[in-house]
Amino acid sequence: MASTLRLYLTCIRNTLEAAMCLQNFPCQEVERHNKPEVELKTSPELLLNPVLICRNEAEKCLIETSINSLRISLKVKQADELENILAKKFLRFLSMRAEAFQVLRRKPVQGYDISFLITNYHCEELQKQKLIDFIVQFMEDIDKEISELKMSVSTRGRLVATEFLKQF
Amino acid sequence: MILLQSHSRFLLQTLLNRIQNLEKCIELDHHWVEFDDVRYHVQVSMKNPHILLLSLSLPTPPLETVFVGGLPFGAIEAIKAAYGVIVQILDPPRDGFNLTLKLNLSKLPQDEDQRHTLLVKIASVREVVLGAPLRVILKHLASRTVAPDIDQFVALVHRPNESFFLVPQAEKVTVVFPMRFKDSIDTVLATSFLQEFMESRRTAGLSNAPPCLWSKTPPLELKGVTDDELSANAGFVTFVILPRHVEGRKLDRTVWNLSTFHAYVNYHVKCSEGFMHSRMRRRVESLIQALNCAKPDQEKTKKTPQTRSFKRLKQGFLRAGNRMLE
Repeated sequence: MASTLRLYLTCIRNTLEAAMCLQNFPCQEVERHNKPEVELKTSPELLLNPVLICRNEAEKCLIETSINSLRISLKVKQADELENILAKKFLRFLSMRAEAFQVLRRKPVQGYDISFLITNYHCEELQKQKLIDFIVQFMEDIDKEISELKMSVSTRGRLVATEFLKQF
Repeated sequence: MILLQSHSRFLLQTLLNRIQNLEKCIELDHHWVEFDDVRYHVQVSMKNPHILLLSLSLPTPPLETVFVGGLPFGAIEAIKAAYGVIVQILDPPRDGFNLTLKLNLSKLPQDEDQRHTLLVKIASVREVVLGAPLRVILKHLASRTVAPDIDQFVALVHRPNESFFLVPQAEKVTVVFPMRFKDSIDTVLATSFLQEFMESRRTAGLSNAPPCLWSKTPPLELKGVTDDELSANAGFVTFVILPRHVEGRKLDRTVWNLSTFHAYVNYHVKCSEGFMHSRMRRRVESLIQALNCAKPDQEKTKKTPQTRSFKRLKQGFLRAGNRMLE
């Protein structure tokens, strides 16, 4: 299981390295505007082919690239209702703090759980390699966090039940 | 605190304070609310400092429960049996309350330990009143009889407009809790908690505990109860209470545990949500740090002396420029 995760993450890392060569590119339609083309999709010649990387049906990663911006959307594994709730809660928690994360998109792309939007300005401000490291670490952390949260819920449930039943 | 305590801590504290300064005349007028919408009111007047009025309001009973004069059946007898001479039940009770007790603090026993036990008992007035019908039924179970003039199943209030059900038989009493939660996250967490109750019952150390079942659909014992009373979004929990669970001193604890089962689960669901939030906050911090690592100018900002000297240099230039202008 761990090895498939490593392969999945390595694949994403390599794709990001290739995709993250962004340049400053002003809007072609409105003068003196500079917008992330991947969001607006005004002219098809500025967009590259999106790449979809799947680990399995439940976990996938969509990387859409344009000349001056890059959008990464993640779908996180949700095996049961509890994981679903935990993932939703955690990702909502993160999206609400998008201000602090700079590259985090406030709303995920439809069909995904969380999205990042990286523009050429981010690439100028931040070191590219470290930014990729961050994205990969983020994905690892989310998986880890959700499984740990799930574990803590069931441990607590077990403790609560045992203490209650001990009373009799 | 894992288990809920049966006495109201604030009430116990108030009573202890009052007794320590019994000669002092003070005015007391406290209102407070406990879980499941149980409200208390304590009043002491300047005229009679040794008289304390304690009023209690219970959660609104749903239609199917039996209430006699605003109290669950058997409550008056239970109060008299528990408190004896120091308590007098006022009729009618205070406006907006189900029960008003007049405590005569000068009649408390002199012995320190006895007095403390009695005060704790007074502070657990909620257990005495709300648990009274349950206690009556379980007492009959202890003597392996069924109370006369009792229906096939009994509904008892435990939350505002919600009740749980008892099916009394001579050898066992089946207790069924329809579990309802307002929030969808609460529902999911509670469901996983309740499944743990079933699981942990099977472990070796708990073979004496009452058999415990959780199911999505109402159990067969409750045939004949209307659907409206059985709408539960987190399933149904069934405990089968056997005579060995209500023997002697165990009775009190069993009554308290059963009548606050929902509150107990709900309390732990909220606790684990709080724990999750603090965890997530920590995780967000660590992720932000990871992102900050990507900023290249981090090392430069550390060298503050340089920037300061640059500022000084700039100010020097400005001053020189001003002088030249003059």
